[in-house]
Amino acid sequence: MKSKKFKLIKKIALLSIIAYSLNSCASIKEYEKVNINDPDMELSQRQICRFETNFQLYREGSSGANGGKVGGGCGCN
Amino acid sequence: MKKVILLLLLFFCGLNFSQDIKKDKLYKKRVLESVEIDFLSSYYSQEGSNASVTGGIGNEDLEDFNPTIVVSIPLNDDDVISIDLGISTYTSASSSNGNPFDAGVNANKTTSPWYASSGASKVDTWKNLNIDYSHSSEDRNTILNANFSSATEWDYESFGFGVGITKLYNNKNTSVSLSTKVYLDKWVPIYPKELDAYVDADGDTSSGYFNDKTIYDQEGVSSNKWSPIKGFGLINDKSRNTFSLSFLFSQILTKNAQFAFFIDVIKQQGWLANPLQRVYFSDINNFYIGNPSSIPLYTSTLNNDVFHLADDIERLPSNRLKIPIGLRFNYYLNENLALRTYYRHYFDDWGINSHTFNLELPIKILDDFTFYPSYRFYTQSNADYFEPYEKLLSSSQYYTSDYDLSKFRSNQLGFGLKYVDIFTKLKVWDLGLKSVNINYSKYKRNSDFQSYIFSVGFKFVVN
Repeated sequence: MKSKKFKLIKKIALLSIIAYSLNSCASIKEYEKVNINDPDMELSQRQICRFETNFQLYREGSSGANGGKVGGGCGCN
Repeated sequence: MKKVILLLLLFFCGLNFSQDIKKDKLYKKRVLESVEIDFLSSYYSQEGSNASVTGGIGNEDLEDFNPTIVVSIPLNDDDVISIDLGISTYTSASSSNGNPFDAGVNANKTTSPWYASSGASKVDTWKNLNIDYSHSSEDRNTILNANFSSATEWDYESFGFGVGITKLYNNKNTSVSLSTKVYLDKWVPIYPKELDAYVDADGDTSSGYFNDKTIYDQEGVSSNKWSPIKGFGLINDKSRNTFSLSFLFSQILTKNAQFAFFIDVIKQQGWLANPLQRVYFSDINNFYIGNPSSIPLYTSTLNNDVFHLADDIERLPSNRLKIPIGLRFNYYLNENLALRTYYRHYFDDWGINSHTFNLELPIKILDDFTFYPSYRFYTQSNADYFEPYEKLLSSSQYYTSDYDLSKFRSNQLGFGLKYVDIFTKLKVWDLGLKSVNINYSKYKRNSDFQSYIFSVGFKFVVN
């Protein structure tokens, strides 16, 4: 259990360092964001895919980390 | 003279101030320009042979139709309220077998795990309401939101609420979000019919519901020795609460690339098993109701008239800690093609470890149309408490034969099409059609389970 916790802390720390490093690597101006602002570049799932995410939540043992639902509902069927 | 200078100063200050206000008003973009209404709908169908209501074998056929309406209303320049209302109607063969001793025309006829009974649980409706309120700061660098949700179905009630904050930095190149959500859910428990009847009859299998039914042993000989393990007790703690903390970090990398990192910490407490799901132990004798000559064929689809009486319902720990970590990376390849990728690693303290990989390639085929081919791969290890039908041991503290908690891999292929009309030329009364989305996905496990889902959505703006 201790080694599991340690691995988790290590993973989170590593990802945080990467994220922090990336923070300082770019500063794109507003007028340069034409491509980034394309609706297909959004960093979330498309709205129409919400239904398949729901069934995956019920039919699989895992869930979360996709900006969607993390609980609620029994998934009885 | 001093008064004149003072008046002039006040005039210019006022002018300057009012110009600032005008400038702000001129350049301050509304978070949402006008009311938007989304009409969404999906049809889902699944089939498989590992129904958890009947202990890991049996018909999993299920169909679900889910119309939903989402209305987003700008309250002013900075505030938006979004109301999401959905109703899902489903028919489920396995749920119907909560009571397999009610096969319809002949009310006394017993069905098998392979066929649906006409039990009350065969058809049901799930209703869901979500309300989300968000406020953006003047400079649009801070977004606060609060939400409320409620859902009900025949054996479950859910009530949730949450708050979140998003901060944008570095010329809006970087964003960080923190949110929390609480679900206070409650079971309205429905038990397998024979276990419910056993409690009602105080353990006397010759009276009450069992009065006109004969129980058979594995050899097909009439017997009154069946009893669930430990005499079967109804569940006491009917709550199932979920507490989650979510963190999101996103970063624009170049003019064409950006990524997001997600992590959720989810704690669940309460009755985390499903009281309708049977289990069967390998070290307990088997007993049946129905046609004794079909007992040797029990696990075959040829069996249509005998049912194995439950040893117990599934039992799972009352706590679960889930940690999913996700990463999205999107790359704009050219004006016709983008790359959308997603990876998630998930683990929990029930022993499930999973990996999800998703790839989507939006292709602009005409000015107004985009085609979305997609592929998703998923793999998970089994929960520590999972064993198939008749493989569990009665000495275990926790057990389940729910194949959603088993070890499996799945592949999903999908296709979508989106039509966008930014000028909303097509009008229906005061509503202008902004976009139409359709999507189809086919999902297949390496075990005997497959499903497909078809979704359609229309987005209108109120003129």
